[in-house]
Amino acid sequence: MYVGIDVGGTYTDAVLMEGRTVIRKKKTPTRHENLLSSLLEALDGVLEGVKVSEIRRVVLSTTLVTNIIAEKKYPPVALVIIPGPGLSHSEYRFDTLTRILAGAIDYRGRELVPVNKEEIISAGNDIEEKGYTHIAVAGKFSCRNNSHEKFIKEVLEKNNPGALVEMSHTVSGRLNFPRRIATTVLTAATKEVFFGFIRDVSGALKNRGITAPSFILKADGGTIPLDSGRMMPVETIFSGPAASALGAMALSPEGQTSVVVDIGGTTTDLALILAGEPMMASKGALVDRFLTQVESFSVKSVPLGGDSVVTVINGKIEILPKREGPPYCLGGKEPTPTDALRYLDRVEAGDKARAEAIIEKLAGEAGISPGETAAEVVKRAGQIIVSAIEQMFISWEQEPAYRIWELMQRKKIRPNNVVGVGGAARGLIPGVAETMGCRAIVPEHAEVANALGAAVAQPTVTANVRIDTEHGIYTVAEDGKSGTVPKGRMFREEDAVKLARDCLFKRAEDLKIKEYVKKVEVVHSEVFNMVRGWTTTGKIYDITVQTPRDILFYIEQEGSDSVWSWGKK
Amino acid sequence: MSGHGEKSNVNKNYVNKSDKTGLVFFPAFDWAITPTHPEREERLLYTRDQIFEEGIMDLPGIREYKPRLAAYKDIARTHFCVPGVKDQVTEAHLISAGGTLVMADALMAGEIRNGFAMVRPPGHHAMKVVHGNRGFCNINNEAIMVDYLRSNYGIRKIAVVDTDVHHGDGTQDIFYHDPDILFISFHQDGRTLFPGSGFSNEAGGPAAYGRNLNIPLPPGTTDEGIHYVLDNLILPVLQEFEPELVINSAGQDNHYTDPLANMKFTTQGYARLNEKLKPDIAVLEGGYAIETALPYLNTGIILAMAGMDYSNVVEPDYKPGMLTMSQEKMTRVTELVEEARFVWDNRNSREIEVMRAKKDFFQRQKQIFYDTDGINEYQVEKLRLCADCGGYLSIASQAFPYHGAEKNILALSVPFNGCSRCREEAYGEYDQGKKKKIYEYVYFQDRVSDTCLGWSRANNTEWEE
Repeated sequence: MYVGIDVGGTYTDAVLMEGRTVIRKKKTPTRHENLLSSLLEALDGVLEGVKVSEIRRVVLSTTLVTNIIAEKKYPPVALVIIPGPGLSHSEYRFDTLTRILAGAIDYRGRELVPVNKEEIISAGNDIEEKGYTHIAVAGKFSCRNNSHEKFIKEVLEKNNPGALVEMSHTVSGRLNFPRRIATTVLTAATKEVFFGFIRDVSGALKNRGITAPSFILKADGGTIPLDSGRMMPVETIFSGPAASALGAMALSPEGQTSVVVDIGGTTTDLALILAGEPMMASKGALVDRFLTQVESFSVKSVPLGGDSVVTVINGKIEILPKREGPPYCLGGKEPTPTDALRYLDRVEAGDKARAEAIIEKLAGEAGISPGETAAEVVKRAGQIIVSAIEQMFISWEQEPAYRIWELMQRKKIRPNNVVGVGGAARGLIPGVAETMGCRAIVPEHAEVANALGAAVAQPTVTANVRIDTEHGIYTVAEDGKSGTVPKGRMFREEDAVKLARDCLFKRAEDLKIKEYVKKVEVVHSEVFNMVRGWTTTGKIYDITVQTPRDILFYIEQEGSDSVWSWGKK
Repeated sequence: MSGHGEKSNVNKNYVNKSDKTGLVFFPAFDWAITPTHPEREERLLYTRDQIFEEGIMDLPGIREYKPRLAAYKDIARTHFCVPGVKDQVTEAHLISAGGTLVMADALMAGEIRNGFAMVRPPGHHAMKVVHGNRGFCNINNEAIMVDYLRSNYGIRKIAVVDTDVHHGDGTQDIFYHDPDILFISFHQDGRTLFPGSGFSNEAGGPAAYGRNLNIPLPPGTTDEGIHYVLDNLILPVLQEFEPELVINSAGQDNHYTDPLANMKFTTQGYARLNEKLKPDIAVLEGGYAIETALPYLNTGIILAMAGMDYSNVVEPDYKPGMLTMSQEKMTRVTELVEEARFVWDNRNSREIEVMRAKKDFFQRQKQIFYDTDGINEYQVEKLRLCADCGGYLSIASQAFPYHGAEKNILALSVPFNGCSRCREEAYGEYDQGKKKKIYEYVYFQDRVSDTCLGWSRANNTEWEE
């Protein structure tokens, strides 16, 4: 049996699955002041009478880090940066105590200017005097050569006992210094609270006799074991949308291209499944007001929900991008799309009489019949969703490409399916799908799609390895590890691919998910001949290998009243 | 002195309120002339690393665009590709040229205030007739963009300033008879560097005299020398020409570490040049110091164009005072500025009227060498001395490759402001050309109706690009 739990912003959901069948589900409100109790309430809700020894896996997705950051419930973090030449140092404004140190590394990891020990000590004293115990250290190009960051950490830890120092190359090895700084600050800020929570969860699972492997979901849809020390708290920040997209994916036909439309009260979140693979954002996520290196699904949020306010402007029905409490039929003050759906009997929740009253009032303002009014509201909501979906595809097509084949390959792709989850989905999705010429899918269990997504999420590992045979070094982008390779021509492309695979396995081992790595695919590989004075002096290999982005299984849709229903597989 | 103030160098007749600098970054990581050629995949690798690590694409003042493929028509509007456009270009060329067109569209839509197309392969050695690759170039990205802007947006006057160390002989050739395009190129003296041209006396054809200015600088010219040319010649001339747009043909090989040239220009010098020149669009050209110069130069130019502080963008080995030039060389620079200034001041001497009274055509002969592909081309170029328009151009070209048979073609081009008589005469010559057995291909390019025709003798077919 598999357990999936999603601690979301409003609700905490849990599901229990037996094979590909959902056997229990539980929905409970999230108590932000005590996430652990919400989580356990949902968990206990699905575990009643279940033999815990039969649980094979537990995966949870949590809004914890989102809360810590949004509510600024973290200790202040001092920042030590080594920007060297380039952008003006005045551009590095991170709204916290920031010390800029001398030192510079270039794009190939060569040291241009050494760091100065005295300066580090003085910066450390200053930070300590000002009462900071958490320090983030980030150097430009530290992902190509981490010696400066390591040295600074060593000096700071020696001179400032008790200081907690986080180095940027361990947070992300990808290029983008300002984003790496932000990600490192957020990591330093949230680590203690996060690991405290993880300990509590692990303890609670143990108390219930659950010994099955337990994981936490990341924003990129992959999972990581709770007991892996190498976890990055910020990576879990947008696991909610990832859970929802994975859940919708598990509930829709395998291998197809689908748009996932998650209609909430205030907003609608869109995600894309391209030929069976969730689409990742090309850049790191925006967290609070910081651009980070956190990899996440490409999610677009539209200010339209079941509770959005409907009004009449110049005789035309319009849906405003705001919520002013619940729908009228659920005791609110304003007309909403939910009222129109209730009027048309496309949703069951809510007082029909109230829905009729408010739709009739709206119809009076618009000068059309109530039936036409309700239909118009539904049509208008559908139009907003369709145009947002179109926009999402267009911006995907317009993302930069740096190689000829990439530019030539990005064809115009449009979805097969529109998969709706969330309260108003059943009422709105058929219209949206019809407009787009797609199949509408509103699966059973859609209300717990997030928990389902968590349940089916798989551990994933990626290793982006850059090898410079002229210098005889390699670096791994994901964890900032580095090592040496033979210089010159002895090192060939097959050696490079092998090294990348080895790095991936090593990383999987560090993350304690080695047994899940079965297939490794090379997703990106490029070679640059380095020519100096007309002779080839070395090669730069840039290779990305990863485990397939797949889910554990697709879910059986038994007795489903969905528009589309799953055939037995 | 002009050019230092906030006043723009251009005479814009449209309002652009954007505060963004557009970037197209297309390093073509899967295209090279040959594996060890300077124009290879590795060329912009370290530039990518630098601009990505700096987080340039995230800056609020920057907007990144994806390039697109230029249409064959966009190329045929500028060039006569032999035998056809598809035979001279690869996808990489179409994307590189298309990258400049994306910047042009974004600028015209007011989405950006200025833009930098960091694209390769480069283009400024590609001439009007294209038999192959010369100076690493097949098609001329800037010229294609200039003609696109004129054809699609009705822009008339454009200035192209070529800041590559090599003479922009292709761009010069394409606009030599065009009075609406001011072409200024400063470069290392042609007696010491490819392509060997670019002297003060190459001043434009009779219909466009003075609209082609060359400043062949002595090897070893520093920031001081180049900024002297900028302040005392280029900026004042631009003010007087009043172009609607300024294009920087932005080669980066004047840099003191470039392996193919011998100048002493620095990152700070290049960035300040762009700050003063205020190009509407810059297009990357050459620059082969791929590690020691390009990462810093491109970062510096982007920051300068975005109006940001670039003072911290310096080469690791640069020390103030390490690059100097002799007084003799500086004197030579001032003389060159005077020579070019003299040409410019006499641009309206109307010698064309004297010429027109004597003959109907201005004719010259040219020999062109394609260093990359090893082709020798001989051209007879005739310009109709027309009183009503720029006059149509007729080019008879004979190309001798190292291997293979010679090729003879005839090409007719009607200017953007072509009069009906010139259009008729040019079309007549095109028709006549088909009857002359020597020509294997005959081309007709009418920029008034935006029509580009080609005709092949072997299969007696006409096509439109």
